[in-house]
Amino acid sequence: MFLWERACRPTSETMHDPGSQLPLPLKDPPQGPGDVADYQVDAPKQRTPTGSHEVPARSGGRIWPWLVVVAALLGCVYSALSTHSFIMRLDGQTHAVACAILPGDADQSTGCVTALLSPYSSVFRTSMWGGIPISLPSFGVFAFIAAFAAWVGLKKDRMRVDTGFLLLATLLPVGASAFFAYISATRLGEFCSTCVGIYIASGLGFIFALIAHIRTQRTPDGVGRWGRWFLWFFEGAAIVGTLVLLYIMLAPSDRESVARGCGELVKREDEAKILLKKRDSTEAVAGAAKVPALVVVDPLCPSCKGLDERLLASGLGARLDIDLLLFPLDSKCNWMVKSSPHPGACLVSEAMLCAPESAHRVLEYAYANQERLLELGKTNESALKADLEQKFPDVKGCVGSAAAKAKVNKSLRFAVANAMPVMTPQLFVAGSRICDEDTDLGLEFTLTRMLDRSSPVQ
Amino acid sequence: MGAMSYVSHLVPLALALAVPAVMVSGWLSDAEARLAVEEPRQSKAITATVAEEGYCTADLKRIVRRIAGACGLLGEQGRGCRPADATKVVSLQGEEFNALFLPLQDRVRIIQYDMGKSELDEGALRAVEEAWADRGGASFFFVVSRASPEGSTDKNRELSEARAKAVLDHLMKRFNDPDIERQVGLLWLGEEFAQLDDKFCDWKRSRTGEKCDANEINRSAFIAWIDCAI
Repeated sequence: MFLWERACRPTSETMHDPGSQLPLPLKDPPQGPGDVADYQVDAPKQRTPTGSHEVPARSGGRIWPWLVVVAALLGCVYSALSTHSFIMRLDGQTHAVACAILPGDADQSTGCVTALLSPYSSVFRTSMWGGIPISLPSFGVFAFIAAFAAWVGLKKDRMRVDTGFLLLATLLPVGASAFFAYISATRLGEFCSTCVGIYIASGLGFIFALIAHIRTQRTPDGVGRWGRWFLWFFEGAAIVGTLVLLYIMLAPSDRESVARGCGELVKREDEAKILLKKRDSTEAVAGAAKVPALVVVDPLCPSCKGLDERLLASGLGARLDIDLLLFPLDSKCNWMVKSSPHPGACLVSEAMLCAPESAHRVLEYAYANQERLLELGKTNESALKADLEQKFPDVKGCVGSAAAKAKVNKSLRFAVANAMPVMTPQLFVAGSRICDEDTDLGLEFTLTRMLDRSSPVQ
Repeated sequence: MGAMSYVSHLVPLALALAVPAVMVSGWLSDAEARLAVEEPRQSKAITATVAEEGYCTADLKRIVRRIAGACGLLGEQGRGCRPADATKVVSLQGEEFNALFLPLQDRVRIIQYDMGKSELDEGALRAVEEAWADRGGASFFFVVSRASPEGSTDKNRELSEARAKAVLDHLMKRFNDPDIERQVGLLWLGEEFAQLDDKFCDWKRSRTGEKCDANEINRSAFIAWIDCAI
């Protein structure tokens, strides 16, 4: 039978007799709600030198909360890196994205950029430019877990009520990690290294917290548990909430680009019939009038694919009546580029213009097979042409013809007539061009405002 | 939990709030400062324009502009320049006029005709279409037709005019493009001005591989897009 006793560092608050100055050995465990916190329960008891009391021993069990601290700090590092990368982009410029399991490592994988620019990287994107990065509350949660675990680790009288809450707290990042890992696998198709770092930190934190909890002996903790848990939950929520509030208050909000746009279409008439209708944009949305839009794309441009996905994910694409202007960044047909960032893009564009009814299918195919088609365009254009003709028989005999080349040329000239920048993608809403800095993180915010002030097509 | 215990509980929590708050505030402050001073991203991209190749010297552009205007390309006063007009407009000797086109060797296709004929054969049709499709960023398409010196001057003048118009007719029939009206300039020279020498046999011809001499090369239309912003 255990001899219940106060912690070996007695304080007045560990006693329920404020007047007493001496530790009082107790024969029975306390039953009151406030008592439970005052008793060390996990370590084996040892005889004191005097042999008169049992005191808690420093044991291997005490290390587990500290391992939770380490895991949580690791989570803090990855969350901070992700938050930093996100905030860097708030200036509207392109910056390198921290993307490595080992911080500082030069992993140049695209997964982190994909994740950062995806609509899953932040919330409330239509209300605030870029929204609130989800890595920010993650940073706060890990910081709270680290602090709480450190407190539990320091506590002489650690109890299951403490470790139980710690275990519950670590479940939050585990659940969030599972959700976002699923999103990465099913929606993004790739994983970002820093996100994986967060998943690992979450998993380790949970395992260590579980062990810490198991190693802490069961005690009757009564109704006090819920009161404490509520308090601690409130503390954690306060940390996360304060960080979010701070972010909302300090995030840059003075953005001229959103109000003024970046140019207008001056020649909208499509005399050469080279604008292609984006099929999903022609589908009616109940009760919604659409606003005319023009998207300048290169079918082999990864950023164009990204914009298409962001528009789709935002749901705002459904409010647009989208025409596509092909602008292949391939020197085979585009005299404005001296090299070919996207070799083969001229041929794919020809295929789209050869069969306007199938253009959306060609574009979807090109987006889905960009890397392979780019490689074919670079090494074997005949094979690329054969691939397109085999996949889309209605373009056979047209791709590579003078008429198809002339149509691509007309597309490029539409851009010249409107003095567009030589780049893709570009998005015009009701004739007004969304600035490039507003087409990634700020897309939903900017587009919502432009849609609100544009007259819809009835 | 007593007061001291709660204080020991709050200290790490305070750190958990303070450290991220300071970091995030600093990053946000930096982002706002950069946003205020950095140029918008789109200003770094060049603007889409028509082509302006290295061979577009001031002299060439001046001549092209004169021909384009006088031969009905830029205005509405009709299409095509006859030899007498060309001499006045160009103000150049025949050799100097031909020399203007030397830097365009990669762009030019020479459409060849049978003697006394203006019909386009299969190779000529293909060459005309290829030349038209190979527009790139060019603004003006020139058809400069000639006739070999056999026959009368008047007959050769008519023949070279028919040859130039055969190219234009095929373009209009094949491409049905309203831009053709605005962008194709015709200049027929008969046998009177700027005859080609047999060095032009080495250029891209619609009858590549067939016999070529000074007479053969002048039974032709010299077609090219000119990559100059006029």
